Amino acid sequence: MLKATLRSFLAHKARMILSALAILLSVAFVAGTLMFTDTIGKTFNDLSRTAAADVTVKPKKEFREDRLGKSGQQPTVPDSTVAAARSVPGVADAHPDITVTNVIVVDGKGKKVGLTSDPQVQAADWFPTKQSSVVLKRGKAPQGPGEVILDSDSADHNKVRLGDKVHVVAAPGAFDATVVGLADFKSINPGTTMLFLDGAAARDRLLGKPGVVTSVSLTAEPGVDQKELKARVVAKLGAGVDVRTRAEEADDASADLSQALDVIKYALLGFAGVSLLVGTFLIFNTFSMLVAQRTRELGLMRAIGAGRADVNRSVLVEATLLAVVGSTLGLLGGLGLAQGLLTLMKSLGVDLKGAPLVIEPATPIIAYAVGVVVTLVAAYLPARRAARVSPMAALREAGAPPVKSLRGRAVGGTAVTALGAIGLAVGASATKLDAAHGLALAGGLVGTLVGFIVLGPVLARAVIPWLAGAFPRLFGAVGRLSRENALRNPRRTGATAAALMIGVALVASLSVVATSMKDSVGKQIDQRLGADYTLESTGGLNFSHDVAETVRKVSGVSNVVRQRETEAKVLFDGSSETITVTGADPGIDAMLKQKYTAGTAPDGLAPGRIALPKSYVKKHDLGVGGTVTLRTPNGRTAELRVGAVIDDEGIGIASAGSGAVGLDTLAKLVPDLLDSVIMANVADGAKSSTVRAALEAALKPYPQVQLRDQADYKQTVQDQTNVILRLVYGLLGLAIIIAILGVVNTLALSVIERTREIGLLRAIGMSRIQLRRMIRLESAVIAVFGAVLGLALGVGWGVAAQRMLASQGLDVLTVPWGTIAAVVVGAGVVGLLAALLPALRASRMNVLAAISTE
Amino acid sequence: MSPGNRRRPPTPTSPSGGPAEPDAYRRIDHEDRAKGSAASARGLTKWYGEGETRVVALDEVDVEIGRGRFTAIMGPSGSGKSTLMHCLAGLDSVTFGHSWIGDTEITGLKDRDLTRLRRDRIGFIFQAFNLLPTLTALENITLPMDIAGVKPDKGWLDTVIETVGLRDRLKHRPSELSGGQQQRVACARALASKPQIIFGDEPTGNLDSRSGAEVLAFLRSSVNDLGQTIVMVTHDPNAASYADRVLFLADGRVVDEMLSPTSDTVLARMQRFARSAN
Repeated sequence: MLKATLRSFLAHKARMILSALAILLSVAFVAGTLMFTDTIGKTFNDLSRTAAADVTVKPKKEFREDRLGKSGQQPTVPDSTVAAARSVPGVADAHPDITVTNVIVVDGKGKKVGLTSDPQVQAADWFPTKQSSVVLKRGKAPQGPGEVILDSDSADHNKVRLGDKVHVVAAPGAFDATVVGLADFKSINPGTTMLFLDGAAARDRLLGKPGVVTSVSLTAEPGVDQKELKARVVAKLGAGVDVRTRAEEADDASADLSQALDVIKYALLGFAGVSLLVGTFLIFNTFSMLVAQRTRELGLMRAIGAGRADVNRSVLVEATLLAVVGSTLGLLGGLGLAQGLLTLMKSLGVDLKGAPLVIEPATPIIAYAVGVVVTLVAAYLPARRAARVSPMAALREAGAPPVKSLRGRAVGGTAVTALGAIGLAVGASATKLDAAHGLALAGGLVGTLVGFIVLGPVLARAVIPWLAGAFPRLFGAVGRLSRENALRNPRRTGATAAALMIGVALVASLSVVATSMKDSVGKQIDQRLGADYTLESTGGLNFSHDVAETVRKVSGVSNVVRQRETEAKVLFDGSSETITVTGADPGIDAMLKQKYTAGTAPDGLAPGRIALPKSYVKKHDLGVGGTVTLRTPNGRTAELRVGAVIDDEGIGIASAGSGAVGLDTLAKLVPDLLDSVIMANVADGAKSSTVRAALEAALKPYPQVQLRDQADYKQTVQDQTNVILRLVYGLLGLAIIIAILGVVNTLALSVIERTREIGLLRAIGMSRIQLRRMIRLESAVIAVFGAVLGLALGVGWGVAAQRMLASQGLDVLTVPWGTIAAVVVGAGVVGLLAALLPALRASRMNVLAAISTE
Repeated sequence: MSPGNRRRPPTPTSPSGGPAEPDAYRRIDHEDRAKGSAASARGLTKWYGEGETRVVALDEVDVEIGRGRFTAIMGPSGSGKSTLMHCLAGLDSVTFGHSWIGDTEITGLKDRDLTRLRRDRIGFIFQAFNLLPTLTALENITLPMDIAGVKPDKGWLDTVIETVGLRDRLKHRPSELSGGQQQRVACARALASKPQIIFGDEPTGNLDSRSGAEVLAFLRSSVNDLGQTIVMVTHDPNAASYADRVLFLADGRVVDEMLSPTSDTVLARMQRFARSAN
């Protein structure tokens, strides 16, 4: 039996090529994602392991360090820590580190130095050791405040040479320096621009405060265990600082990194999911057709004594063989994909410098498991059908299988779809976002999807005659034949179209949500943004107070409103919660017109008061007049009275998990905060374009400050949505590619199945051109059918999701009709393309082989 | 049937081993060929395979098919009778020789012209799988004309449908018709476009004797009453007895011919073959 199965697999291998391709694609995405993230993870972990000191003493980690740095509150430990740590037995050496990421480096042409348009910069004291990630390649070590070392990758990118001047914007202030040295990364370039100053200059220029350092690197004496040393250091220094071993530092770095990689990972797994889902249908169709074509053969096997289980097993073994072949190729494809992604990362500045791909043992296991499971699931029903073939089938005339009634399907499918639609409706009726409504929506999505898949054949019968209604008139007999062919096996047509339907539905819903989001945000900006100009920082550092002064001095500018931001803890009895506190000048109300459920903006921003969002107030059972206790990162606390409740979130001074206070209130708590946003209006009678030109000229010395008018502002926000849309279109592309494979697959197998019919048509006078047209039209109508179902489903999902999210600010519904029309037309074109090869093959068929009896 | 393909085999050397002389053949052919036959062939040779495995399916066959006659082609399995029909009908390519439909030489025609010739001037009835399962009986009957994009002649269509006696079955799909009814639809299709010649490849091979007799009687009457020319390949002496003339093939050659056959005379002739083969 196994021999017969193997023979059959080999004999039909051409018919399985496309199924193998579908498995290949799915597995390649899964395997490629794993290899890529493992490689990046391992390489960075190795890097942080070598770069970290045996034990590091750091400030207590209460808030996100990058946010603190950006607002001008770099966390530090006192200098005394260095001496104290050095005195711990087992410490060979303790080095005071100055390392900050809140600097911006600009070259002589005013361009930011770095590998990307928004480079990450790390500035540190120059202290080369064995562990350093860089080594001085050219030039000399920096001495004094006017000299720096730059990493050579960034320098090369910006064509900065030894002796050139760079402008460095740091928290204490901006300064100019000469590049006296260039340093190379020893192993990999993590995509960060590195800047080094001598120790004293680093303290002065980067921290601006005497007597503090950002961390202390401890070297253990030989034979002293890191964990043991950590325990001793903790005992000596107490709980005011964080003490980390090398391994812990490396793990932290990995955790941070994997978080950063998550977006890429989930996007890629999304691709894998789509290709798996769509591929399942393709494999299902292949096996269904193979079983149908082999009915007599299977009947013969049954007649000569093979049991049902044998037949069932033989189909599943064939499926497993296919899965193994497809998964193996998929693993290879994954290698290519991972390599491609690493190359892509290189263009984003992260250069692994030829580090080998990491293939964890789990990767092939997962890859094969995915391939085999998906294939077996898809082949399960066809295998069962094969097992049901009676021995009598061997004797019967091979012909069209009896058409089973679709009534069961119609009833079941309609019921499931209706349940799903109710779920969608319940989700859409949500007035606030909560788990119950979310669950209803999710259930609705699954229900309608399953319902549509079940209903596919029924809908094919209903929709295709209509879609292809004009075919007979336009294309005569050829048109009629193609319409009938698309309809003759509704199950097959349904399953083929389902592949496209799923892809199109996913994309249509995402695109409805994304365009709605774009328009909702646009509407919010129109309604709320009163500021003519908005200034924000583009780097890792907000801007100094002189920017606001500069803006005020520009003629034609009126009403300059500043905002500052800090992280803070709201203290409750026995617990605390981190929120972002925005401090704003009194004029903010005119710049950001927000609604308040209680109080007004002046109430909320008055001294000693705070304005909180509705959701926050509700969560903690507060109200106007209630008090909250804030603790800022510098350790000060203040009791603030709730002065106003902000009605809705979104564009405004306070979003979820944040509060707003008057600028003076915040300045009293945290005196050295930098400005995060400046808003300004054009004075009455001043010309907008003149003012803009004047502003731009005045802001020349501040290259990190981005000036945007309302249109720019809208564009920036919409660009963020466009990134999502681009991903969505990527998904569409992939779904379409696999769906094309599905249509090609079905057509190719149909052509083989209809060999005799095609021969007959040729014998009685159908030309090759007509035959090709017949197959192309059939293909196009199936593809358009799938797209129409997918759009119906996807737009339904998108609308439901938008309704549900309406309370979250997504209150404008935009259905992208242009995109929808394009998808329908595109599906037709895709159908025509998919038919190219099968049509060619059909038209080349030998008339005689087709009509002669066996 | 051999897995022949649409490409012609490479120009071979002549069967005797010497160089081929196609020009000589052609000249003789043109002179000898009788005028006015519905189909004819001269020196028709068909090989399958090459070298050691070469099989000669037709060996310099000369044939004339008279207009308005019912011709049966008989012979044992492997005698080349089906191949002869396929070559005469332009369904298969030949290795040497020439064949004509009316005055049109079809050997050497391009696929496009052959297709048009089949569509406009030839009718076909095959042993099985004659009809498209997706079309109704009527749609199947008018299919060749639909493909050609011409309107069927209403009156003629009526006559044909009346003759095959399927008026109440026109809306049915093939799967709803009996085997005999399906073959009658196929006959109607072959007749409907008024072809110059109809080729039948064992048209009753899959039918029980009563349905077979119906179909044959119908073919006979279309020759008698409508003046149709029919060529039919069969191995059934009874079927052959409906013809005006029977050609006997053996080993790729026409070995005998019989006019006004009956089942008995045909059977007797076939039995002689069997004996001589032994």
